[in-house]
Amino acid sequence: MENKLNKKIIIEVKNLTKSFNETMVLNDINFRLFEGESLAIIGASGSGKSVLLKNIIGLLSPDKGSIKINNVEMVDLKRSVKEKILLDLGITFQQGALFDSLQNWENIVFKVKNKEKLTVKDAKELALSIIRRLGLNSEILELYPSEISGGMQKRVAIARAICGNPKVLLFDEPTSGLDPVTGSLIDKLIKSTVKTVGGSAITITHDMASVCRIADKVILIDKQTISWSGTPQEMLKSDNEKIKDFIKSTNPKLFF
Amino acid sequence: MNLINSIFKICGATGKKFLKFLSNIGHFFIFFITAIFWIFRPPWYFKKIFYQIIDIGYFSLPVVGLTTFFSGMVLALQTYNGFSDLNNETTVARVVLTSITRELGPVLTGLMVAGRIGAKMAAEIATMRVTEQIDALGTLGTRPLQYLIAPKIIASLICVPVLVLLGNTIGILGGYIIAIFKLEFNPSIYLYATVEYLQWIDIIQGTVKAAIFGLIISMVSCYFGFNATKGAEGVGYATTASVVISSVMILTSTYIITALFFG
Repeated sequence: MENKLNKKIIIEVKNLTKSFNETMVLNDINFRLFEGESLAIIGASGSGKSVLLKNIIGLLSPDKGSIKINNVEMVDLKRSVKEKILLDLGITFQQGALFDSLQNWENIVFKVKNKEKLTVKDAKELALSIIRRLGLNSEILELYPSEISGGMQKRVAIARAICGNPKVLLFDEPTSGLDPVTGSLIDKLIKSTVKTVGGSAITITHDMASVCRIADKVILIDKQTISWSGTPQEMLKSDNEKIKDFIKSTNPKLFF
Repeated sequence: MNLINSIFKICGATGKKFLKFLSNIGHFFIFFITAIFWIFRPPWYFKKIFYQIIDIGYFSLPVVGLTTFFSGMVLALQTYNGFSDLNNETTVARVVLTSITRELGPVLTGLMVAGRIGAKMAAEIATMRVTEQIDALGTLGTRPLQYLIAPKIIASLICVPVLVLLGNTIGILGGYIIAIFKLEFNPSIYLYATVEYLQWIDIIQGTVKAAIFGLIISMVSCYFGFNATKGAEGVGYATTASVVISSVMILTSTYIITALFFG
C-alpha cells in the first residue's frame, strides 16, 4: 500500500477507539506512518499515548477500528501470525521492562539469539557492538539490570529494541529519566537508526527538545483524540494552546 | 421502603461478588488448560526447568525435612501417650508409618512448598507483570506461558513427589529416634513392624497426592502472578492469594484423594 508520493505505509491506524470499563481513553484515532518517517506522539500524562502503542503491538485490543502493519490487519489476527509480525518490530517500554533474571547481554540479544541460534561468544560480541553505539562500556554486559543505573537500564532496553536492525521502531518515552547529554545521544541514535536501516519509528515523548531532534511529524493526543498534527517546525508556530503549553515548558529552538 | 432498598443493595452486591467468583473460576480454568497445552509444545526450556528443579526440590529439602522430622517425633510421642494401654513397638510404628505416608508427609510438604515456592513464583511473575516484562516477552517472539509458566509446572510435578518421598522417610526416621532413644523400644522390633506395615498403596497414594499438590501450587501461584495488577499492592495480593488458595486447595483435595483411594 502506497500513498500519493509513492511512500510505503508501514503503520496505518483508522478510527481506533479504546475504553476501559466506562472510561474512554482513545476516540477515533487516525494516522499513518510512512517508510523512513519518524513520528513523535506527544500528550499529557494519562492522555492515552501508551495505550495507543499497546494497541498497535497487540497487547490491548481496540473496541473499534483498524490497525495495519505492512498492510496486514492486526486486530483479531491469529496470534501466531501476529507474533511473526511483531518480531520485525523493535519496541521499548516505558519502564524498560528488562528481564531481571538475565544478564544485560542476554537481555540485548534475547530476540536475535532465539531466532538465529547464536553462540554465546557471537551473542556477546553483538551485544557489545550495540551498547558501544549507546555510549555504554563492556563491563555492564555481565551485570544484571538491577546492578546498573536507571539511565543505563533505559539504554540497555533501547539496545534490545534495535538489536537485529528492525525496520520499525516503537519507543515509549525513551529519554525519560536520562540526563540531557545521554538523552541527546539516544535521540541521535533513533534518528540515525531510522536513516541507516531505512526504517520508521514512532516515539512517545514529553520532551519537546527530543521531538525537534527526531521527528519528521508530530501528533498531539488530547481529550482522547488527535487534536493536532504537523511537522516540528509547524509545531513551534502553532496556535494550539496545548502545544503552546508544551513548548513553554522547554525552548526547543535551542535544540535545532 | 428503605429496608427494601437495603435488601436489594445487599442482594445486588452479593450477586456481583458471586458472578465475579464464577468469572474468576472460568479464567483459572482457561489458564489451566492453556498452561497444560504449552507444557507439551516445543521448544522446552530445559535450562529453566533445571533451575526450577534445583529451587523447588533441592532448596525446599531443609524446610520439608525439618517439618516432617519433628512431625514424626511428635507423632511417636503422642501415640505413646494416647494409647497407653496398647503401648508397644507395633502400635507406635504403625501409627507413625500410616499417618506420615498417607497424610502428614504429603500435606505438610505441600503446605511448606506452597509457602516457600508458591509465594516466590507468584511474586516473581506478578513483578514481571507489573513491570511490563511479560508484555516485553510477548513482543520478543517468546510466549510467556511457555517460557515462564511451563518450566515451573513441570519442575513442581517432578519435585513435590520426590520431596514427599524424602519427607516421608525423614518423618519415619523422626518417629524411630523417639521410639528408640526416648521410649526405649526395641529397635529390631520397631523396624520390623515399620517394614511389615509398609504398603505400596500408601506410597502410591502419597505420590499421587504430591503430584496433584505440585500442580495446584504451581498453577495457582502462576495464575495469581500472571494476572496481577496495580503495582506493588498487586504483587502483595498475588503472593498472599496464591499461598492461601493453594493451602486451602491442598487441604480440600487431600480429603478427596483419600476418599477415592480408601473411601
